[in-house]
Amino acid sequence: MPATFAARRLGLLLPPLLLCISFSGGNPAGSDLTTQDLKQPSKEHQSNGSFVQSEILLPGPHGTLLERSISLANATTVELSCKLDPNSRLKSPQVIWKRGNETISHTTKTENSWSIKLVIVDSSKMGSYSCILKGAEEISATFHLHVPKIEAREKLITYERDTAVMVCKADSTPMAWTWYMMSGSKPVVINESLRTDKYLTDRLSANVTRLRVLKLTKEDAGVYWCEAAFKLGKSEKKMKLTVLSIMAPLKPFVAIVAEVVILVTTIILYELYSKRRGKCTGEKVCDQTEQLKSGEGQ
Amino acid sequence: MARGGRDTGQDSRGSRAPLAPPAMPPPGRAPVPPDGGWGWAVVFGAFVSIGFAYAFPKGLAIFFKEIQDFFGTSYGEVAWISSIMLATTYGAGPISSILVNRYGSRPVVMFGGLLCGVGMISAAFCTSILQLYICVGFITGFGLALNLQPSVIIIGKYFLKRRPIANGLAMAGSPVMLCTLAPLNQFLFDNFGWRGSFLILGAILLHCCVAGALFRPIGAATASAKTQDALKEKITEDAMKMSSPANVSMENKTEEEGGKDCCEKINQYLDLSLFKHRGFLIYLIGNVLMFLGFFAPIVFLAPYAKHTGIDEYSAAFLLSVLAVVDMVARPATGIIANSKWVRPRIQYFFSFAIAFNGACHLLCPLASNYVGLVVYSSFFGLAFGMVCAMLFETLMDLVGAARFTSAVGLVTIAECCTILLGPPIGGTLIDTFGDYKYMFIKCGAVMVLAGTFLFIMNYYNYRMLAKEEKERKTKEEDPKSVRTEKEGRNNWNKDTTQVGPELEPLREEQEGVKKKMNGTNEF
Repeated sequence: MPATFAARRLGLLLPPLLLCISFSGGNPAGSDLTTQDLKQPSKEHQSNGSFVQSEILLPGPHGTLLERSISLANATTVELSCKLDPNSRLKSPQVIWKRGNETISHTTKTENSWSIKLVIVDSSKMGSYSCILKGAEEISATFHLHVPKIEAREKLITYERDTAVMVCKADSTPMAWTWYMMSGSKPVVINESLRTDKYLTDRLSANVTRLRVLKLTKEDAGVYWCEAAFKLGKSEKKMKLTVLSIMAPLKPFVAIVAEVVILVTTIILYELYSKRRGKCTGEKVCDQTEQLKSGEGQ
Repeated sequence: MARGGRDTGQDSRGSRAPLAPPAMPPPGRAPVPPDGGWGWAVVFGAFVSIGFAYAFPKGLAIFFKEIQDFFGTSYGEVAWISSIMLATTYGAGPISSILVNRYGSRPVVMFGGLLCGVGMISAAFCTSILQLYICVGFITGFGLALNLQPSVIIIGKYFLKRRPIANGLAMAGSPVMLCTLAPLNQFLFDNFGWRGSFLILGAILLHCCVAGALFRPIGAATASAKTQDALKEKITEDAMKMSSPANVSMENKTEEEGGKDCCEKINQYLDLSLFKHRGFLIYLIGNVLMFLGFFAPIVFLAPYAKHTGIDEYSAAFLLSVLAVVDMVARPATGIIANSKWVRPRIQYFFSFAIAFNGACHLLCPLASNYVGLVVYSSFFGLAFGMVCAMLFETLMDLVGAARFTSAVGLVTIAECCTILLGPPIGGTLIDTFGDYKYMFIKCGAVMVLAGTFLFIMNYYNYRMLAKEEKERKTKEEDPKSVRTEKEGRNNWNKDTTQVGPELEPLREEQEGVKKKMNGTNEF
């Protein structure tokens, strides 16, 4: 059992390891008990902001997914290449680049690799690009170009009269952040037009925004989302806010306290009972004298 | 139980003819540790109590991200909660020891459980991070300190022959509770948010009171103060009949007792003369050194796994492997340590376990893939469990059950500093070099060093003990019985300053067991 489990884990492990990007490694500083997230090597980093290069080695080890995820925030020139492993069985394949159904011309070929160059200035050119190698068998690799994803916690549980704090974090700096909430079935923008004693938005840093909802009531529960506007498109993340009353945790709390009281009382009563069963009038010492006598007899 | 030779002059338990204080009232005799019976219920209580004390601070980490967002603080400020809790749990050791010496284990543990509960319940209503520091850090930490020490102490009172097993079983509470608390905390957090979770966790911590209720007092622990005074009077009466230097010290003692100055009062509750005890000092230095590298690898195992590219769930699985192996290793180590080959040389076994731990860390950087890390986690769990199971057993073995109460308090406050320093030093190493292997090398080196130090020093200690035992034997056979009595009283007074005579036969029984075994080895 452990072997197959480990093999499955190995399968998940290999694609990141075999990608040819040198990832920055993040900041491996640990603090006391939890960790900072290190970037997985599947994300591409913007180097110098205006030119990004990415390469996938084909066919790659058995069972690996040949995909790469690239996040772009500003206008960039992107070069995507598919490189053929010289040790593979495939020789001189025919290569086409596709985006969806449309084929892309203007491909560059060097000895073993085929690449395309894209100049991206708006959201129209974002999407998934695939290179397809046709030979004895067909292999393909895909590059996903997208705007930076937003990280936020998707479920929030709060209590009445408390404050809800929702934080959204993006990888790159967006031009603007906007918060929305679902009112009835229509999205409503949260801005100054709404009560400022109830909704407070602020920008903790260039990449981080925060929404605070004060004096919560049951009606505030629902879906909220933050939207980051980049030059190359918009990105959003939805969060579900639940508002509980104080009764919700109080019921298990009272149950557990009652259980503790019952257990303690039972133990103490059992002790008094077993003491009374002894011949002495509640003095534990008398039982021990008997023990000592029997002990010395050994 | 008959033993060959007059090693300590004991032919049967409890009677030490030439040296027994005359006319000892039977109720004041030390109860023989039952080594079973209600003792197993006490082990279960200690299991729960120790489990909460060690596992609870680690289990809180799940809530930190949410708390950080809620209060708008940095990660470092939230991590302080854990640090304060850990520091208080270890730093309040001496206070715990003093309270146990005064009131016995049961009231202290029940009060500790109540304090934990109150701390977490009030934490559920906190409105600032500072209030969390106080409620979760100080109050709950102090409550856990009041749980940890008495649980370990009462095992020493209930067990002697099977003490390593009892210790191993009780210490197994830590990984079991961790494995229970981690998913439980996650479940509570998903359903109730952090406030509701703290409220419910406060109720769960009240189970420490249940554990405390199981700690039936044994021996006249609370009467020790009275009988001790009565005994000291008797001793000084007898000492008046002899003229010797020892007499002066005893008279001084009575004067001090009469004067009741501050030092003597502290000494009555916290045995500071332990700092002259050779075995205690060896243990203290070795352990303080060991804790520098003890906890850091656990803290950084998951980040290291993620750093090598393993996904989050597999990294968490490594910790589960560690916990499961740890869970099994602790009672198993207790059983092994109780066997007749290992028990007399338990200090060597302990040193070996520490060095083995260090060797694991040194070999960790060689693990190049996930399977290697799983193997490392299993061996680490084994070594970790071995060391933890014997942590308190070896201290009991060195200082005896009588002085263990004070010893454990002093040891934990000394360890407090290095425990807190260990992970940050490891973190600094990782930050400076950008590579985890230096942290593992540092931890491994420190632990191998600690293990070697303990091995050598305990070899020396065993030799000195054997020598002292030989000297004592020759003095006992001396025809001058007066001198023997005085020497005997000297030794007895020196070694059992603050605990009453009830536990003296116990200590000597234990020394007798140890020395008999030692006598068969050539040192």
